[in-house]
Amino acid sequence: MKPTVRPSFVRAWPCIASDFSTFFLRLPPPPLAHARNIAQIRHRRIHSSLSPPPPPPLLASSPPSVPPPLFLRPPKYTTTVADLLEWHSWAKSLAASVGSSFEDSDNGPDSRLLCRELNWLMEDVLDGFDPSLMHKAVARDDPDVIVSSRADVQELYRLWKQRIEERRPFQYIVGCEHWRDLILCVREGVLIPRPETEIIVDLVGDVISKDQGLREGLWADLGTGSGAIAIGIAKILGDYGSVIATDLSPVAIQVASFNVERYSLQEKIEVREGSWLDPLKGVEGKVAGLVSNPPYIPSDDIGGLQAEVGRHEPRLALDGGAEGMDDLLHLCNGAASMLKPGSFFAFETNGEKQCKFLVDYMQNQLPGSFCNVNTASDFAGTQRFVTGFRNG
Amino acid sequence: MEGLSLFRPFCCSNASSVVSPPRARPFLHLHPSRLLRQLPVPSSRFRSVGSVVCSTSNDQLSQSVEADSSDWAMQDFYSLRREVEAASARVEDIRASAGLQQLERELAELEVKASGASFWDDRAQAQQTLLALTDVKDKIRLLSDFKTQVEEAETIVMLTEEMDSKDRGLLEEAAGIIKELNKALDRFELTELLSGPYDKEGAVVSITAGAGGTDAQDWADMLLRMYVRWGEKQRYKTRVVEKSMGEEAGIKSATLEVEGRYAYGYISGEKGTHRIVRQSPFNAKGLRQTSFSGVEVMPLLPEESLNVEIPEEDLEISFSRAGGKGGQNVNKVETAVRITHIPTRVTVRCTEERSQLSNKIKALSRLKAKLLVIAEEQRASEIKQIRGDAVKAEWGQQIRNYVFHPYKLVKDVRTGYETSDISSVMDGELDPFIKTYLKYKYSMAQSANEAGQ
Repeated sequence: MKPTVRPSFVRAWPCIASDFSTFFLRLPPPPLAHARNIAQIRHRRIHSSLSPPPPPPLLASSPPSVPPPLFLRPPKYTTTVADLLEWHSWAKSLAASVGSSFEDSDNGPDSRLLCRELNWLMEDVLDGFDPSLMHKAVARDDPDVIVSSRADVQELYRLWKQRIEERRPFQYIVGCEHWRDLILCVREGVLIPRPETEIIVDLVGDVISKDQGLREGLWADLGTGSGAIAIGIAKILGDYGSVIATDLSPVAIQVASFNVERYSLQEKIEVREGSWLDPLKGVEGKVAGLVSNPPYIPSDDIGGLQAEVGRHEPRLALDGGAEGMDDLLHLCNGAASMLKPGSFFAFETNGEKQCKFLVDYMQNQLPGSFCNVNTASDFAGTQRFVTGFRNG
Repeated sequence: MEGLSLFRPFCCSNASSVVSPPRARPFLHLHPSRLLRQLPVPSSRFRSVGSVVCSTSNDQLSQSVEADSSDWAMQDFYSLRREVEAASARVEDIRASAGLQQLERELAELEVKASGASFWDDRAQAQQTLLALTDVKDKIRLLSDFKTQVEEAETIVMLTEEMDSKDRGLLEEAAGIIKELNKALDRFELTELLSGPYDKEGAVVSITAGAGGTDAQDWADMLLRMYVRWGEKQRYKTRVVEKSMGEEAGIKSATLEVEGRYAYGYISGEKGTHRIVRQSPFNAKGLRQTSFSGVEVMPLLPEESLNVEIPEEDLEISFSRAGGKGGQNVNKVETAVRITHIPTRVTVRCTEERSQLSNKIKALSRLKAKLLVIAEEQRASEIKQIRGDAVKAEWGQQIRNYVFHPYKLVKDVRTGYETSDISSVMDGELDPFIKTYLKYKYSMAQSANEAGQ
């Protein structure tokens, strides 16, 4: 079991390489030297044939830059209702042409879901979105009404084409995902937080409502990705406690830091770069709660994933090795040394089989370390989470 | 002439500030200028005259009166007389249906209560009683004002007939009274008809296609359009927050939010099953087909007014998530939430929000709003007392038929109101149906009250 850089990590680079220069420019470069090295290597790979090596990464000049999430852009474009409607009906018919073909081939979205995404895209693009306004303009036969927008119509054509033809995930298109009561910025290179994972925050909420000591303690979200769980927990901790969010991927570190800042939680959440438990050095035996949604999909399943996931999301965040258990087991083995007596943990898994395996593993291979080890279901009724407490 | 002094409550404030306190005068000596000044005259023709009156001498007034007097031909007088008669009948109706005697009994009871020695011991209770007292007093005063005003107008009509002379000032006086009186009666009726606790709020309208396949789904879509058009006509802000498309045509369901004052009060009576009869365009043989769609209406209540606690164990929460292994394996944006209140089997759904938690929160507040309304309808003081069996029967009741073929007719089965102008109705021309229903509901409540006494 190797918790550090795996082959899949290297394989994952090409798909995120072009996005490395970032919209989070005001953030300092990642502290770890090796991350910077990787970044420089990749930049060299991209640019060597075109131009002299670019300046160090993460400076404003490094091309190509990733545009900020749609909903955060200023509404500096204007377009007529007629142009917008023309795009909209084009996009709608493109969505309709999909029918159930994605669903049939890889359980992807059908037309109905795509139309819903289209509505949300409009919501994010238009400043003060009011669809009835458009219909009124049509009814009045007044198609030249000007609407202000956060992207020009040409870009909208391009984005929707990417959505349908390349199956680029909707959340990368708009640059955000609504998760619990949060709007989290996401982009290529970072796992899009899933609705199932919202429940981890509820599980933590249940625990801290019964134990003030845990509420006041130090929490850790390992492999934080966009920072979703860490931010969710920091918000329910309220005035108490603090959170360390870790990730191996520099992109994730940037995105998570950006999201933490957007919710003004810098004082509460410390984002640390590194593999799994490594960044927790110095707090051994002091952690009150440890949560993680590590990669858990068996390597063999990756090829058959829904295109939005398999082709576009970082393999680093999905591939859990042959059985999908590599990282979960690594976390189980390491958790005991980090957690203080009576502390809580929750891990997300691929389903019932992994849940059962982990519960069994903790009870039989790590006897005496944990107590009250249990599984919890997600909203679809699938056993999804393993929870428990550190003995003591 | 006591009647004269009772003119005052009816005048708008700027007019009464100009006028000196009225003195009792014999009717015949009423001077037009004084009457005109007292009246808030809204029509532009009257207003120009009125402003002359306020700013200039009586000589100028009499000139302008003479110049205009030809306007008051016989037919004007007859139409005025008809209006006065109609208003008189309306005042009688309203006074009868408002239960004047009952109000006076209430007033007496409240006054006894308010004079009790221990009245102020419970301050909150005392405030409530005083508020109720003011309400009842205001209502009684308003009802007697209506009577006085219509009597004024009747007297003028009578005098004109008896004396066989047309005093233009007097007739304008009567016309003005009737105009203002009708407005006041409209307002009164409205507040009477829309006095439910949530009537002032916005509304959430859910439409669900019923039995009838594609035809029913198309019918649900037609209803959605009808309500959107109605909302736009009322200048309400309408928003289709959720729409689930049918396979071939139409919609399986949709949710419409209507924001604006009294939206719920007006549209709440649309709740029930709507039935369509037509030659279906989705029926290959073009046969006559009957389909149904259900409409549910709930108030759009602000979060803070939903201070209802529902025990967790009474809720059955289910989430729809399309197939597969879930978790990291799937990326689908829909996170529909459906909540059932187990004791009553009342169910709501929310799919329009972009996160699971937001959908759950919104579904829960919709459920609370729905339960509050049902409790109110069943006169239950608590959610716990709701009779679940009655909910299903009542909310699914067939309320209206829309026949497109073989003849054209829209008929409300509760009130009997009907029209053959089906295309206007489908364009959102629902006001006659809504008003008739509100009146029907009001008179039902009145007779239930009377029966209860």
